Amino acid sequence: MKKLAGIVSILMLLLAVGCSSQSSSNAGETNENGEWSPTQPIEITAPAGPGGGWDTTARMVSQVFEQEEIIDQRLPVVNKAGGGGAIGWAYIAGKKESPYHLFVASPPLVLVPLNGQSEYDHEDFTPIANVIADYGAFVVKADAKWDNLNELFEDMKKDPASVSVIGTSSPGSMDHMQFVKIAKAAGVDVAKIKYLSDPDAGGLTAVLNGSVDVYTTGVAETIEQVKAGKIKVLGITSEERLEGEVLEDFPTAKEQGIDETFVNWRGFFGPKDMDPAAVKFYEEKFKELNESPAWDEIRKKYGWGELYMNSEEYSEFLKTEAESMKTLLDELGLAR
Amino acid sequence: MDAFQGLMSGFQVAFSLQGLLFVFIGVFVGTFIGMMPGLGPISAIAIMIPITYTMDPTVALVMMAGVYYGAIFGGSSSSILLNAPGVAGTVATSFDGYPMAQQGKAGKALAIAAIASFTGGTVSVILLMLFTPVLSAVAVSFGPAEYFALMFMGLTAIASLSDGSTIKAFISATLGFIVVTIGIDSQTGTSRFTFGNANLLEGIDFLVIALGLFALAEVCTLVLNRKDDSMNNNKDLGSLRISKQDLKEMSGPMTRQSFLGFIIGVLPGAGATIASFIAYITEKKIAKNPDEFGKGSVKGLAAPETANNAATSGAFVPLLSLGIPGSGTTAVLLGAFLVLGVQPGPLLIQDRPEIFWGIIASMYVGNIFLLVLNLPLIPYIAKVLRIPRPLLISLVIIFSLIGVYAISFNTFDLYLLVAFGVIGFLMRMFSFPPAPFILAFILGGMMEQALRQTLTISNGSFGIFLDKPIALTLIIVSVITMLVPLFTKKKKANVEKNIDESV
Repeated sequence: MKKLAGIVSILMLLLAVGCSSQSSSNAGETNENGEWSPTQPIEITAPAGPGGGWDTTARMVSQVFEQEEIIDQRLPVVNKAGGGGAIGWAYIAGKKESPYHLFVASPPLVLVPLNGQSEYDHEDFTPIANVIADYGAFVVKADAKWDNLNELFEDMKKDPASVSVIGTSSPGSMDHMQFVKIAKAAGVDVAKIKYLSDPDAGGLTAVLNGSVDVYTTGVAETIEQVKAGKIKVLGITSEERLEGEVLEDFPTAKEQGIDETFVNWRGFFGPKDMDPAAVKFYEEKFKELNESPAWDEIRKKYGWGELYMNSEEYSEFLKTEAESMKTLLDELGLAR
Repeated sequence: MDAFQGLMSGFQVAFSLQGLLFVFIGVFVGTFIGMMPGLGPISAIAIMIPITYTMDPTVALVMMAGVYYGAIFGGSSSSILLNAPGVAGTVATSFDGYPMAQQGKAGKALAIAAIASFTGGTVSVILLMLFTPVLSAVAVSFGPAEYFALMFMGLTAIASLSDGSTIKAFISATLGFIVVTIGIDSQTGTSRFTFGNANLLEGIDFLVIALGLFALAEVCTLVLNRKDDSMNNNKDLGSLRISKQDLKEMSGPMTRQSFLGFIIGVLPGAGATIASFIAYITEKKIAKNPDEFGKGSVKGLAAPETANNAATSGAFVPLLSLGIPGSGTTAVLLGAFLVLGVQPGPLLIQDRPEIFWGIIASMYVGNIFLLVLNLPLIPYIAKVLRIPRPLLISLVIIFSLIGVYAISFNTFDLYLLVAFGVIGFLMRMFSFPPAPFILAFILGGMMEQALRQTLTISNGSFGIFLDKPIALTLIIVSVITMLVPLFTKKKKANVEKNIDESV
């Protein structure tokens, strides 16, 4: 009997922990002009653990909103890690119409559902505003035989299996797709590309010791190694050259005659069917944030590019983005 | 600036009043958080990051490094006292540390761990200081093929981690391999064995397995045996004193494992965990009386504790000189660097020598602080065992739950934890050793990934292993260590048979 009591008490403890999540129902203030303003703290979800890109963006946005008093409420950041974002998205999807729940997102919000790993996709949320853009970079060892993207893709067109490519994320997600998108535009048979994934960020090591040929990653990650002369950047995925020391030397794929780009956009979303008045409120606040000197400083610190889109532009952008990714994934046989 | 001048400026940083103060704060917080069952260096660093936002980068990073190695230093306590390893690097510590504490020698066990940690930490800092620029080449010398071979070598430990049936050890390891395949397969993006449950997509966290199989299973046993007085006589904490005999026994493993641990730590991805396992098995292999291992052997405790601390310093080589994080913890630490506007990498030693050398110099000071801080505290830490059994059991359960909840703030992990507690308990009842399970779980994921990466590179040909001298050597060594015991056993059996016949 005592044993049973012990087990029951453990279960009770588990239940107590499980039930501690609270829900909110306050819809906020809408004045006679139809203008909405928040009356309680706004929770920003980072659908990943502390320290990564989503988390940093969410925390910096929250910090600037609060410190510059752009929004007159606290904006606590919560981390909902797991499933490459799927856990966090499911959490927000459960906050129907709440104007007090935002989350930060980037291309995985489009790619993960297409890979069949999340039941929610970008259409299940309200796009509010995009704030920043990152770009991909394709990197080889400093003494590699290729000096530009065309030489690399020429070899890959002859024999796609002769070149190996490594990235952090799994096939069908960002690091892979940014390479595939550019390679396809150059005429490479993308289904035959040898792509390896190293979730522990061993991609750079693998290129430095010569076990893998090409490393597909974010632009900012390459600067230090380029400065040290250990690697060279064959091409980046932005429309035009970027600004800044070292960055400005990276050639775009476009200027090498490959007419394709890939944007690692990062912006904010709310639950589905958020009150249009609230969306309007946030849109304006994000615009104000985007133009503030404090935010400019943070962008420079982290090497993020500027890319503001309001809710409507954002929805349009996501639509075309999702379509082009779907086509590519179908060709790779990865769409589900 | 040459290295000597650099080091001098580093010592200036470390010995400034501010430097000393923040090294102390760092190691104090680190060792304190590390002692908590279920909390490890990742939590410790994550907790401290926000505090550093407004600090001077050099001082802040000296402190954060202190938090890191302090947490590894303190991490042994919960393994030894409660059989609740808070981080993968201290799992091997529990193999001999916990039995020792059970035998009423908790004080001694903690003292051995502290001295071994100090030795491993200090020797490896000297190596770090002398060889970092040279070793950065070693750090990237391992490609997927070499990693696979290294993990393969780690796996040879399975047979030696069983005191009873080798078959049961292999069954236990197989379970570990099965469990680690749960989640998204990194090479294809396919989800495996998740049954449509999004919570399983990222696989099961190490802590869930470690706390379930070790801590909760132990708790179940204690609850069942609560009337058995023999389990209760360890209220005696034993004296701290380490005899000359013990010191002599420790010196061998400590010297060897300081070097071996450091070198394995230098390899990104291998780190403290593999260093501690390899330390444990090599010492068991060369020991005169390997039977003592697993039953409270001094060597079996000193070896992994030396190695995991040495590997922690080793992990600074790729982090500082290449900007490559070797483990989840160093990845968070790298984040801490970036927040402060410091980019570790090949240029750090030129651009910010005060930071590079300041961290290294502060590690000498930090290790001394840790020893001075930990040794006098041992009697108090060991008093944990004097807490009345029912209360202690509840505390272990609560800390395990908190530790697991803190990984992802997801209640699903708590159910998993309880499930693995039950599995661990059943394994114990039928005497399946949990150690091979966790070893296979830790190595299996990396091993599968390394093998598949290797085969993708080689277009499916296993011949690639023959072209890589390091990989080939490691595999041959592993095969020999696996086969030799078979022959010696046969020989022994034959000898015994002969004796029988002659009698």
